[in-house]
Amino acid sequence: MEHTSLLERILRGVALTLVVIFFMFPIVWIFMMSFQTNETILRIPPQLVFKPTLANYTALITGKLTTAAGTLDIAFMRNLWNSVFLSVTSVAVALLLGVPAAYAFARHKFRGSEDIAFTLLSFRFAPALLVLLPLTLYFQKLGLSNTYIGLIWVYQLICLPLILWIVRGYFEDIPADIEYAYRIAGHSWFATFRKIALPLAGPGIAAAGLLAFIFAWNNFVFALVLASADKQPVTVGALAFITSSGIQYGQISAAIVLSITPTLALALYAQRYLVEGLSLGAVKG
Amino acid sequence: MASLELRNVVKRYKSQTVLDNLSLTVADGETLVLFGPSGAGKTVLLRLVAGVIDPDEGNILIGGEDMTDVDAEFRGVGMAFQNFALFPHMTAFDNIATPLEASRSSQSAIKAGVESVAKLLKIGHVLSHKPRALSNGQKQRTALARALVGSPPVLLLDDPLRNVDAKLRFEMRLELPRLLADRGATVVYVTQDYKEAMALGDRIAVMSQGVIKQLGTPEQIYREPANIEIARLFGDPTINLLDVKPSRDAKGIYIGLSNVQVHLAGSYETAVGRDCVIGLRPEALAFVDEGTPAAIPVTVEAETPLNEKIVTLVRTVRGREILVSRPAGTPGQTEGRAYIAVDGKSALLFDRASGDRIGSKNVVNLRSGEAA
Amino acid sequence: MTAATMQRNRPSGFRISKRVLPYVLSLPALLVCIGILIPFFTSVVYSFQRYRLSQPWARQFNWGDNYISFFTDPKFWNTLEISLLYAGITVLLELLLGLGIAMLLQKRSTLNNFISIMLLMPLMTAPALAALMWKLMTNPGFGVLSYLASLIGLQDFRWASSPSTALFTVVLVDIWVYTPFIMILLLAGLRSLPTQPFEAAALDGVPRSFVFFRITLPMLTPYILTATLFRLLDSIQQFDIIYAMTQGGPGDTLTVFQVEAYLNFFQSTNVGRSAALMIILWAITYFLSNIFIKNWLRLRERARGQA
Repeated sequence: MEHTSLLERILRGVALTLVVIFFMFPIVWIFMMSFQTNETILRIPPQLVFKPTLANYTALITGKLTTAAGTLDIAFMRNLWNSVFLSVTSVAVALLLGVPAAYAFARHKFRGSEDIAFTLLSFRFAPALLVLLPLTLYFQKLGLSNTYIGLIWVYQLICLPLILWIVRGYFEDIPADIEYAYRIAGHSWFATFRKIALPLAGPGIAAAGLLAFIFAWNNFVFALVLASADKQPVTVGALAFITSSGIQYGQISAAIVLSITPTLALALYAQRYLVEGLSLGAVKG
Repeated sequence: MASLELRNVVKRYKSQTVLDNLSLTVADGETLVLFGPSGAGKTVLLRLVAGVIDPDEGNILIGGEDMTDVDAEFRGVGMAFQNFALFPHMTAFDNIATPLEASRSSQSAIKAGVESVAKLLKIGHVLSHKPRALSNGQKQRTALARALVGSPPVLLLDDPLRNVDAKLRFEMRLELPRLLADRGATVVYVTQDYKEAMALGDRIAVMSQGVIKQLGTPEQIYREPANIEIARLFGDPTINLLDVKPSRDAKGIYIGLSNVQVHLAGSYETAVGRDCVIGLRPEALAFVDEGTPAAIPVTVEAETPLNEKIVTLVRTVRGREILVSRPAGTPGQTEGRAYIAVDGKSALLFDRASGDRIGSKNVVNLRSGEAA
Repeated sequence: MTAATMQRNRPSGFRISKRVLPYVLSLPALLVCIGILIPFFTSVVYSFQRYRLSQPWARQFNWGDNYISFFTDPKFWNTLEISLLYAGITVLLELLLGLGIAMLLQKRSTLNNFISIMLLMPLMTAPALAALMWKLMTNPGFGVLSYLASLIGLQDFRWASSPSTALFTVVLVDIWVYTPFIMILLLAGLRSLPTQPFEAAALDGVPRSFVFFRITLPMLTPYILTATLFRLLDSIQQFDIIYAMTQGGPGDTLTVFQVEAYLNFFQSTNVGRSAALMIILWAITYFLSNIFIKNWLRLRERARGQA
């Protein structure tokens, strides 16, 4: 690789530039649209230079959109709140359920432990609707349809396998002798778990939590099937928004920007752990 | 204080038997060294005693009390690990303090306890450091301090000098016996270094493939090894082993070495006419003048001066190589032809087929717990 | 310090025995497991029933009828074909593109690391939202991509609204979202390869193509397999992008398995057919995931070994 010719360097440069343009352009473009009025958006050819406006964001945040035709209510902030609440709670529950189980699978191999671990893993790869469709009928009977509890439970389908398999790996990385030493020093298994295993696996657990948050946030189909408007997260809300508000493209762009910013920010923050998380612990970054 | 007893302990991993019906008693205050190659089951035995793994069969008693089903934290043992197993997220002080915290000592008692043991082990100045900021020697001392701080009646030391450099190992080998004696604890010490075993053990248990092959004082193990393998493991330079077939004449039982008859002191009646191996410690051989009775002619091949002794490699007329050791500063032969004499009393005779030592002098009872 | 310090209190009151402990720790996860297995088995039952939400009184077991009718049902064959086509095209293109980009970024440098992090942004965008972004960009009225298409002579390029280009459009969005997934896994794989074989090959003046096909590719195979199967498993079940973009349309152009099952359930309220579709999809993914897990476990062992 050291003796690359000028031609090759140019070709590599061009290729990389094209790659960056293809993958970054949509985000940049939508970001720009979110600062434009509908008039500039609808202008042809599309404008690269325009006078930016915050009106779209103001409308979303206040929830009121004043148009020539009258005032329109926008429930987008509600969707944003639902996304935050559902993702945070789902991850918290997944951590609460998954971390002890991951510890048990890593440290105390027991009869059936691998079976449970693989069953949970298989949820990650089974078609979501296979479980969701019967669940809508069950939820109606149980009174769980369109409740946060029902949704949070279903979100475990994606959060729990992720937490379980990644955190298990981090627990396995702690030498058993360190935990033995603490037990022998006179501490209970629970003290050992709390004072040794948890702090040492801490960064990994945090990273798994962040990733689970991103996947929960980005989920679409669970809420589409199981939630009505007032419980829907941004992914479903934005789709409803685009059909209901017709031509309010500026606001839609702003809504998309607001919806993808949290995950993009978290991803940048946790990027060191992304590879491991995306491959469920199979590849280290 | 407490004695320690293992009764018919069996430990299996999958289909492999790691400890095979092993019984062992360590007297109160005794230091027992577990010696053997890696994979012999030494570490597993320590962990069973500590209670971090469970035996498949058998019982473990500490102070006469059955601890088999008692969790590790209630057994009252201290343990130092070969890889130190320090808690990486805690300072050396906090590491050492963990046993005291578990016994709910007061803050001032913890501080006093940690500082006194740290002073004893000369690590008082690094107590505020995290393990990764410690040198290997300091880590080792911290691990030892953590094991000692609670004054546990039973101390388990898993090859604590394995991962430290030669100089420190030498220092600690001198320091440890006094340290352990002062504590008065019952100690089980694992090592693969025979010198460490000889220096530290009241008794030594030689382990191999999950069983104790021989149990005795360092003197016994050295003078009367149960088999060729053990004879080879103890001693530096290694024992000379030569194939022989003992015969009998009027003066008793003898072996032929380079056409010289060497008479053996001891009851080797059963060995006559059998294929045997004679074990001659290098220090049991000496250069003698020509004409000395039973002197064996040899050629000096090479001489290696070591610290406190000089080791000479000689070759017999039949081409067999023998090592002769003598204290430094004593006269010896440096080249050419020479004669060596064999001390018939210290010769060890082994059955060639089984490797077991022949002779009834000291049959060590593995089950007996008598301290040396 | 005396021996008394070590006299610890023996267990008193409630204490979890060593043998039971792991079960207690994993019990909550186990319950969730069971809670999800119940609807799974319910789906199996539904798939053997004639069950329409609009005609609950007519619900009865018809055993294999739902499955048997698939054989003569062109809509089913369309679903199967479009699902396999979609999965095949997206994964193949993403693999080629992802491998290419990973090799461009292989050398560790500030710029390369920065670009690889930037390229993760599409992957972290919710697929449903990504579909909306592309929908805005391909809007026939003002969409910037429609404008660019007209510049290169594609007047009236209808993107997702035309049956002839709908598949192309959703595949494009899928590529935009998921190529970074393959790229990042292969990049991690490439960077973890030992350097000696490459140095030796460079010293011997071995041609680049030979190095790529005989050294790089074979050593990268476990990563490629894992990444490909991972994507294949997700892609054959794609719902978010297609539903958000076209809701399976225009017509039944893009009624892949999950979209078709969703529409069957909520529009035609045909629970039985919908469940049968899902079971067939599940059988396909189960087959794939068995191959996948073997590879994935091997790779995971290796990753743990590095630690």
